[in-house]
Amino acid sequence: MTADPTAPGPPAVELRGITKTFPGVVANHDVDLEVRAGEVHAVCGENGAGKSTLMKILYGMQRPDSGTIAVRGEQVKFRSPADAIKSGIGMVHQHFMLADNLTVLENVVLGLPGRFDPAAARTRIGELSARYGLGVDPDRLVEQLGVGERQRIEILKVLYRGARVIILDEPTAVLVPQEVDELFGNLAGLRAEGLTVLFISHKLDEVIRVADRITVLRQGTTVTTVEAGSVTTAQLAHLMVGGDLPTPETRESTVRDEVTLGVRDLSVRSDAGRDLLSGVGLSIRAGEVVGIAGVEGNGQAELVEALLGTRPIATGAVTLAGEDITAWPTSRRREAGIGYIPEDRQRQGLLLTQPLWENRILGHQTRPPSSRGVFISRRGARKDTERIVAEFGVKTPGVDVPAFALSGGNQQKLVVGRELSGSPKLLVAAHPTRGVDVGAQALIWDKLRDARAAGLAVLLVSADLEELLGLSDTLKVMLRGRIVATLDPATVTPAELGEYMTGVATQEATP
Amino acid sequence: MTAVIERPAAPPVRAPWRDRVRRAAIWAALVFVTLAVVRQVTGANALTSAGTVNDAIGLAVPIGLAALGGLFSERAGVVNIGLEGMMIFGTWFAGWAGYQWGPWAAVLGGIAGGALFGLVHALATVTFGVDHIISGVAINIIAVGATRYLSSRFFLGREDGGVNQSPSVPLIGRVGVPGAGGPLGTLEGKHWFLVSDLAGLLRGLFTDVSLLTILAVLLVPAAFWLLWRTGFGLRLRSVGESPVAAESLGVPVYTMKYAGVVISGALAGLGGAFLVTVYDGKFLENQTGGRGFIGLAAMIFGNWRPGGLAAGSALFGYTDSLRLREGSAAVHALLLFAAILLAILAIRAGVTRRWIPAGALAVAAVGFGVVFAVTDQVPAVLTPLVPYAVTLVVLALAAKRLRMPAADGLRYRKGETG
Ligand SMILES: Nc1ncnc2c1ncn2[C@@H]1O[C@H](COP(=O)(O)OP(=O)(O)OP(=O)(O)O)[C@@H](O)[C@H]1O
Ligand SMILES: [Mg+2]
Repeated sequence: MTADPTAPGPPAVELRGITKTFPGVVANHDVDLEVRAGEVHAVCGENGAGKSTLMKILYGMQRPDSGTIAVRGEQVKFRSPADAIKSGIGMVHQHFMLADNLTVLENVVLGLPGRFDPAAARTRIGELSARYGLGVDPDRLVEQLGVGERQRIEILKVLYRGARVIILDEPTAVLVPQEVDELFGNLAGLRAEGLTVLFISHKLDEVIRVADRITVLRQGTTVTTVEAGSVTTAQLAHLMVGGDLPTPETRESTVRDEVTLGVRDLSVRSDAGRDLLSGVGLSIRAGEVVGIAGVEGNGQAELVEALLGTRPIATGAVTLAGEDITAWPTSRRREAGIGYIPEDRQRQGLLLTQPLWENRILGHQTRPPSSRGVFISRRGARKDTERIVAEFGVKTPGVDVPAFALSGGNQQKLVVGRELSGSPKLLVAAHPTRGVDVGAQALIWDKLRDARAAGLAVLLVSADLEELLGLSDTLKVMLRGRIVATLDPATVTPAELGEYMTGVATQEATP
Repeated sequence: MTAVIERPAAPPVRAPWRDRVRRAAIWAALVFVTLAVVRQVTGANALTSAGTVNDAIGLAVPIGLAALGGLFSERAGVVNIGLEGMMIFGTWFAGWAGYQWGPWAAVLGGIAGGALFGLVHALATVTFGVDHIISGVAINIIAVGATRYLSSRFFLGREDGGVNQSPSVPLIGRVGVPGAGGPLGTLEGKHWFLVSDLAGLLRGLFTDVSLLTILAVLLVPAAFWLLWRTGFGLRLRSVGESPVAAESLGVPVYTMKYAGVVISGALAGLGGAFLVTVYDGKFLENQTGGRGFIGLAAMIFGNWRPGGLAAGSALFGYTDSLRLREGSAAVHALLLFAAILLAILAIRAGVTRRWIPAGALAVAAVGFGVVFAVTDQVPAVLTPLVPYAVTLVVLALAAKRLRMPAADGLRYRKGETG
C-alpha cells in the first residue's frame, strides 16, 4: 500500500525555503516540504505552528515572501487559487469556505470554467455523493446545514474538481468516528487512483493510522519528516510540543444536588412542520457534565439553539437554577449565566475583522469587566482579554490584532476562554476542543474540570468520543431528534456507543 | 465500526421556479380584481383606465432600471446609494449625445455615462476600500454640480440649450398592436365590472408603447437569467455572499465586483436616458427627481430579486401615474385599495399563524380603511405624498423576510481572512 519511495518521477509537490511573515509574526520560516506522488502526507504541529499558512501558500491563497514551489517537478508561481486549481491542486480549508445563501450545488460548481449546467451538475454531485458516501443533497441552502454536512460539502467540492493533489486542513475535527472511517476509506481509494493527499490533523492516532509520512512543524519551521510506521503518538507529540499526551480522566465526581438546567418535553419543528426535536427531557445538576453523543444532524444543534433561545420551540419548558427561562430572550439568558461555545467559531463566535478585545465583549456586553453601566469598558475588556491570552496560551502578538490573524486553534482558545469568564452557571459547549492541539486540549479539559468542581453545569456536544467518555458524568445519545439512550461513561465502550449512535442498539428512552 | 450512518434527509426549502411564477401570477390577478372592485365601488374610473396603465409603465421603467442597477451592484456586495447620481449622469450624457446624433445615440450615451460613474464607484469602494455609502453620496453630490458645469460648457448658447437643459432630443418611436385600440377603447368605456377593467389594462399595455419601454421590460427576465442561470451570475452573486469562499475557488473577486458596479451604473444611466428620450425630449436639471433612491427602495423591498423589484417599481409607477392623471379623487380611492390589499395580506399571515405580522397588517388595513371612510378626498397638500406612503407601507408589509446578500457593503481585502 505504501507509495514506493524509489518510484520514478518527481515529487508531486515540493516546497523549498518558504518564508512568510505577517505583522508581528513569522508564520513560516524557511520551510521545506516534499510530498511524493501517490502518498498520504500528514503535517503536524502546535496551534499557530504555520500549517495552514503553508497550505494556503501552496494553494495560492497567500503569497510567500520567499521560497519556491514545484508541482510535479515544474517550478510554479501561483498568483491566486485559480492558478493552483489549474495545476490540479484542491484544498479543503480549516474554516468553511461556503456561501450560506447559495445552494449546495451552487457552492460546488462555483468558479468552474465552462457553461453553468445545473442538471448535469446535479447528476454528477449525486454520483460522487453516492460513491463516497457523503449524503449530500444538492438543492439545499447551505445556511441550514450543520458543521458535519458542511465539511462533507467541502470535501465534495475538491472531488468534483478532480484535483490530483488534495490538501485537507483538519477535515475530521467535527466528524464522528464513523464518518472519519468513511473519509479515510475514501482517502485510501483516492490514493489507489494515484492521487496525492496532504492532510492536517491534531488527532495523532488518526494521523499515524492514515498517513504514509509525517512532517512536523514547530514555530514556523520544519522539524523533521518521519515515516508514519516508525513513530508512536507519544513520540509525535514530543516532536511537536516537547510535551506528553493528555488523557481526559474524570476525577472524583463533583455532582451536587441542585439542578442547574431542567429541560422538559422540549420539541422543535422546522418551518415545514417536521419534528427536529421531539419531547426531549434532560436535567443537569451543578457540577455535572452531561455529554450528548450522536451523528450530527440528529437534533443536537436544535437542542443547543433552543437552550440559547435562538430558535423558537414548539413545546416544552426550560429552567435555569429553578427559574423558568422558556420565554426569555437570548441576552437575558446569557446574563443569567449561560456560556456558549458554538460549533462554528468563525460563523457564530467571532467578529473576524474586529480586534480580540472587542471579541471579548461579545455576549458580555452588559457585564463587567467589559462594561461599566451603559458604557463599554475598553480598559476592562482589554485587561481581561490579556488574562485569557495568558491563561489559555493564545498565541498572538497582542490583543489589538483582528481575530482573523489568529490561527484556527488559537481562535478556539479565545472563545473557550471568553465563555468560561464571569463564572457562568451553565456552559453549553459544542465541540469545545475543535482544532486545538494536544497540549491545548489538555488545558481546556483541565479548565472545564476546575469549573465543574466549582459548580458549573456543562452540556457537552462533541464528535470526539474520547472527550465525551472522559469528561461526562452522564452520557446521552441523540438520534432523530430524541434522546434514545442514557449511558454511564465509566462502563460504556466506544463500540457500544457507536451502535447506539447509529441506531443499531436501542434502549428504552429514559427522560 | 462499519455501521451505515443515518443521515436524516430534509426536503429542499426553496420553492421551485415554476411555483414562484405561479404564485406571482395569482398575486397579480388578485391585485387586479381588487382594483376592479375598488373602481366599481368608488367610481374612480381612472383606476384601471388605459391612460393610467400606460403612464404607469412609463413611470415605472426608470425606477425599475435604477432598481435593476442596484440589484447588480448589491448582489456583487457593493451598496450603491450613488444610483441617483449615476442616473443624473445618464440623463446628461443622453442629452449630449441625443441632440447631436438622435435618440438611440442618447440611449448609448446614457448607458456610457452611467457606466463611467459606476466605474468611479467601483474604483473607490473595491480598489481603495472607501466606505460604500460615502462614495455613493459623493457621487450623488458631484453629479448635480458636474452636470450643471458641463451644461454650461456644452449646452449654453445652442438652440434651446442652457445651464439647466440640453437642446432638444428627438423622442424614441412608439408602437402598438395594430387595430387593438379601437374595440378595447369602446369596451373600456362601458365600465363593466372586470371586463372594462381588463380592456383598459390591455389597451394600456399594448397600444402606444415606447420601444425603449419594451426593451426595459425585457431586461427584467434577462437579469434573472443572467444572475441565476449563468456561471457569470453565480460568480457575481458569490462575491456578494462570501468573497472569501469565492476567492478560494479561483473567482476573481475584484473583477466580479467591478463588473457588477459598472453594469449597475449602466442600468441607472439607461434609466436616465429613458427620461430624456421617452418623456422630456431633452436633458433637464433635476430630471431624475429622486428616482434613483426610489429604485433602491424598490430593490430592497423586492428582496434583492428581479421579480420583486419589478413588482415594487410597478406599484410606485402606478400610484404615481394615478396622482399625476387624476389628482386627489383617484388617490382617495387608492386608500381603499391599500386597505383591501393589506387585509388580504393579514389573512394570509393569519392562516400561516404568523400572528405579529398579521396584527401589524390588520392594523394598517384598518387604518387605511378608516381614513378612506371618514374623508371624501385627500387634502391637496398630501396628494403627492400618498402614493409613496401607500407603496412603501404595502411593500414593507408584504415583504416577508428580507435577506440581503451576506457580504453586502463590507470591505473585502484579498488574503486577509479565512
Ligand atoms: N492573515 C493573517 N494575518 C496575520 N497573522 C496571521 C494571519 N494568518 C495567520 N497568521 C499568524 O501566523 C501564524 C501561523 O498561523 P497558521 O494559521 O498557519 O497556524 P496553524 O499551524 O494552522 O495553527 P492551527 O493548528 O491553530 O490551525 C499564527 O501565529 C497566526 O497568528
Ligand atoms: Mg490551521
